[in-house]
Amino acid sequence: MSFNETFDSDSFNKTNGDTFEPISETKSVSFYTPMVYVSILLISLVIFASRYRRKTIKELSELPSMFDESVARDLYFEIQGLAETGESKVHEKVVKAALLNRGAEAIRRTLKLKESEPQITVLYKNGSVGEEYWKRYQNEVKLTELEFKECIQEAEKLQPGWAQLFVAISKEICFNQAMARRYESILTRKEVNINQWALKLDDNGKLVD
Amino acid sequence: MPQSYDYDEKAETWPFFAMAVLVVVLLPLTLMQIYELFNSQKEEKFGEQTSTLNELNQVLVPQSIKKFRAKYKVKKSGVWSKKTLIVCLGWCLVAVIWKTIDSNEAVREAASTIFDPYLLLDISTSATEKEIRSAYRKLSIKFHPDKVAKNLSEQQRAVLEEQYVLITKAYKALTDEVTRENYLQYGHPDGPQATSHGIALPRFLVESSASPFVVVGYIALLGLILPIFVSRWWSRTQSVTKKGIHVKTASYFADRLFNFKPSQVVTSDLILDWLSNAEEYKIMYPHLGPKVFRNLLNDHLQRASNGEDLNEIKLRVVAKTHSLLFGLLDVSTNFRNTEISLAAIDTFKSIVQATPVSPESQIFQLPNVDQKRFSEGSVDDVRTLGKLFTYDEKKIGQILGISDESRLQETLKVASFIPRLKLLKAEFKVPGETVVTPESIPHIALKVLVVSPKHKAFPPSKFPQVFFEEEQDFEAQKDPFASALEQPPVPQTFAPLFPVERTGGWCALVMLQKDGKVIQTPLVVDRLSFSNLDNDFDKREIKDVEASFKPENWVVGTIKIPFSQPAPPQNGDYFFRVVLKSTEYFGSDLDFTLPMMVRDPPSEADSDKQYDDDSESDSDGEGDDDEDEDDLDEENDSDYTDIDTDTDGEEEKSLVN
Amino acid sequence: MSLTYDANSKLLALEDASFDELMNLSQINKLTQNLVGESNPNFTPQPRETSTVMIKKLFETGLQQTKQHKFPEALKSISLALEMSQRKRAPWEAFAVQLQEVQFMLKNRVDLCLVQGRFVDALQDLEFLQNTGLTTSDVFIRKTDALIKLQQFELAKVECERGLSLDPSNVKLKALHMESTRRLAEYNGDQ
Repeated sequence: MSFNETFDSDSFNKTNGDTFEPISETKSVSFYTPMVYVSILLISLVIFASRYRRKTIKELSELPSMFDESVARDLYFEIQGLAETGESKVHEKVVKAALLNRGAEAIRRTLKLKESEPQITVLYKNGSVGEEYWKRYQNEVKLTELEFKECIQEAEKLQPGWAQLFVAISKEICFNQAMARRYESILTRKEVNINQWALKLDDNGKLVD
Repeated sequence: MPQSYDYDEKAETWPFFAMAVLVVVLLPLTLMQIYELFNSQKEEKFGEQTSTLNELNQVLVPQSIKKFRAKYKVKKSGVWSKKTLIVCLGWCLVAVIWKTIDSNEAVREAASTIFDPYLLLDISTSATEKEIRSAYRKLSIKFHPDKVAKNLSEQQRAVLEEQYVLITKAYKALTDEVTRENYLQYGHPDGPQATSHGIALPRFLVESSASPFVVVGYIALLGLILPIFVSRWWSRTQSVTKKGIHVKTASYFADRLFNFKPSQVVTSDLILDWLSNAEEYKIMYPHLGPKVFRNLLNDHLQRASNGEDLNEIKLRVVAKTHSLLFGLLDVSTNFRNTEISLAAIDTFKSIVQATPVSPESQIFQLPNVDQKRFSEGSVDDVRTLGKLFTYDEKKIGQILGISDESRLQETLKVASFIPRLKLLKAEFKVPGETVVTPESIPHIALKVLVVSPKHKAFPPSKFPQVFFEEEQDFEAQKDPFASALEQPPVPQTFAPLFPVERTGGWCALVMLQKDGKVIQTPLVVDRLSFSNLDNDFDKREIKDVEASFKPENWVVGTIKIPFSQPAPPQNGDYFFRVVLKSTEYFGSDLDFTLPMMVRDPPSEADSDKQYDDDSESDSDGEGDDDEDEDDLDEENDSDYTDIDTDTDGEEEKSLVN
Repeated sequence: MSLTYDANSKLLALEDASFDELMNLSQINKLTQNLVGESNPNFTPQPRETSTVMIKKLFETGLQQTKQHKFPEALKSISLALEMSQRKRAPWEAFAVQLQEVQFMLKNRVDLCLVQGRFVDALQDLEFLQNTGLTTSDVFIRKTDALIKLQQFELAKVECERGLSLDPSNVKLKALHMESTRRLAEYNGDQ
């Protein structure tokens, strides 16, 4: 090999004949040897890269959602399934209602993710949550965006030209639903408060002394 | 490769290698050990603050918990710990190796052949040519074969001659062009010396029958052991967050916060539900589920006893809540959720005191209380320790349902030593400034008094201003938090039912009053003198506060809370809610509003106003703010219109900011 | 999921539904009912006149009864008006209008509750108002008052101080702050 020669000539050959005899053996190496070497290296790298990619994609798809449930979306598909295949003919307006519900939820999620962004970023940067949570968040942002687009496409399919109005209506529905949920929770919150503070009330809601 | 390698048969090199490795490992270890030793001594200097409750705290511990504590006691490493032993052994080994090197002929020989002209001529490396010449001349006179004494033996003569040759060589090396070149390039005036490349391993390891083992050893080391260690270290750092909880637990808490519906009411039960789902418990007891853990936590709060086996599980589950709750608090404050943060700390104290959160928690945390008799018999509405101490001892015994005199004394002692915080002075402070200037870096400086629930109330104005003054020298300005650290650490918590002995203080939370949300992660206040608790300033005996109050009998505590953001750029008043919430006791919390008055530096007008809050009377701070009313109204309006025009559903509302 | 569909009422039902499923189903059913009643496929968020008038009428009855000091009846009317606004309005009618309507009626209901000593009810309505972004001094004054009456002095003081932070010169809040600190001191045996 060539590097043998330079090594020898540089440090041993010239001056110090008494201690070292220059021994140079040159093996003839086939032209293909380096080619084979490089190609094995490259192929193994490519295999590793593709495997790694596939694995990360799989991991990403297996990450649990940031949101506890996806009922609005699931129900829409369920109802759509009923409308297309079921024996009982589901009215077209029911499908529309389910889509509006799904659209409203998609908007809620988009807003929620956007508004939580600074907090989640700080959590991640402080090391309060792990790498996985951060990945889940970024994943969820993309998925929610996709979900929203899907809703608009579905709206266009159900009623051509409706898409723009659909978005405006979904927005109102989203906020009104949130308000309704809050309104409906008044009673349960009241019960919790009474328990928490061990209050005794009469039938008219007055405090019993 | 053409050459044959030399093995280190004379042990010339490998001892050096071994020693280098040893020293590289030992030095940091030793330093760490010394640092720890030094630090622990520093801690001891403060001394443990002995609370009068310490003895009772031991006596009242149930047998089962005593056993548990003995079993899981963490041994504190002293001077004679295992680590110190290892370090000492390591240094001994270094000494042994040093000895071998020192007595090794081969090494010595190698060292003597090293050619250093400066050493030979006995001059410094920066010597000028003139100095070199004169040194050479002096030495050559001494060693010249013609000049030496005639009466020397043959052998001595030879030595001197050799020395002379060396000196001449050295001189040439520094003056003659060719020799100098040789010296610089090869390290010897004669030109290159024989170099050999060896392996720092004895021959027996590499040659003959042992070589396969060495190869296998290398493969094992590089291919197995190293990767395993690295990956284990990596996965361990990855599985725990910086706050010390499992990443899965942290993710779970973050999910709960993220999915939290504003229509829910946060209660201690909800927090306990969350805790029961911690990954830590799953790892400790893979065969048990969250429901079991939840029940165990509940049993702990109800002070219910379980069987022997379950009891240990329960105590371990309870002991773990400490880090989990701090983890949850970290996540919830980052999500800016006030309700959950406060509920988490309430849950904390309820676990520490094994008392559920209820309106009677302050009373029920005490030992020996008959909860049934208390609930049935209470004529007056006694819910606080302070109220309890307005009655005489006999009546207290009746209220709490304790008929045994000695047990009543125990209970009273505990009750009177549960610390209450009394706010004397609170302000936003910028070091070196009299006011908070726009965009400065303020911190919250508090003066508090640790008082007992039995103490008679007195207004903070009883303290002359000198008590609150701090040195304003350069050091204090450079590190304004140092003065708070000079206080002794808080004493052990009275918590006989908690699985481990514990100390803990207060969590300082800061909220923005405008939106009512937390603005920074909590600071743990764990240094405060409790010596005031020994004062006998009994509210049942003191009739005339004026006459019996002596400020010099009281120790004023200092709390400094760093503020996470700079002051706003605009002048004005900004209001913050500061909550000091005890993680240990019910009835020890402090909750007040503190305005940050941002003003230009006081060259034009003196706006040096401080806000003195006291929980006893109306604070005068609020009265001063009329001139800023317009500012705030404006803010209010914009907030209002925000809601009216578009986006604000409650789900969304909770996320604004 | 075993989703069932009633072709007559066009409503959906689900067996063993979770809380979220139930909530979503009722939301969808409500949307369906409103869609069936809507003939224009390109409906807009414009509020419907009919429901506005009906709710207003009910609410005004309540106000009348309040004037006549028939508080229990007034409370019922206003609660009914609120119920109607929740039930009769389509979910897509402008949120800004719906929120204002609910907030306005709730403010009146709060006062009716306070007058009749229904402090827990008042507190919940007040919390709804706060959560939907209504943070005027009036809300803080009423909430502090309700909390004092419920003997939650610590919370009352916290609430009052937040109110004062937003409106530092409010006389009523200042008075309430004094009262809550005094009551709290008493509660803690400091007086």
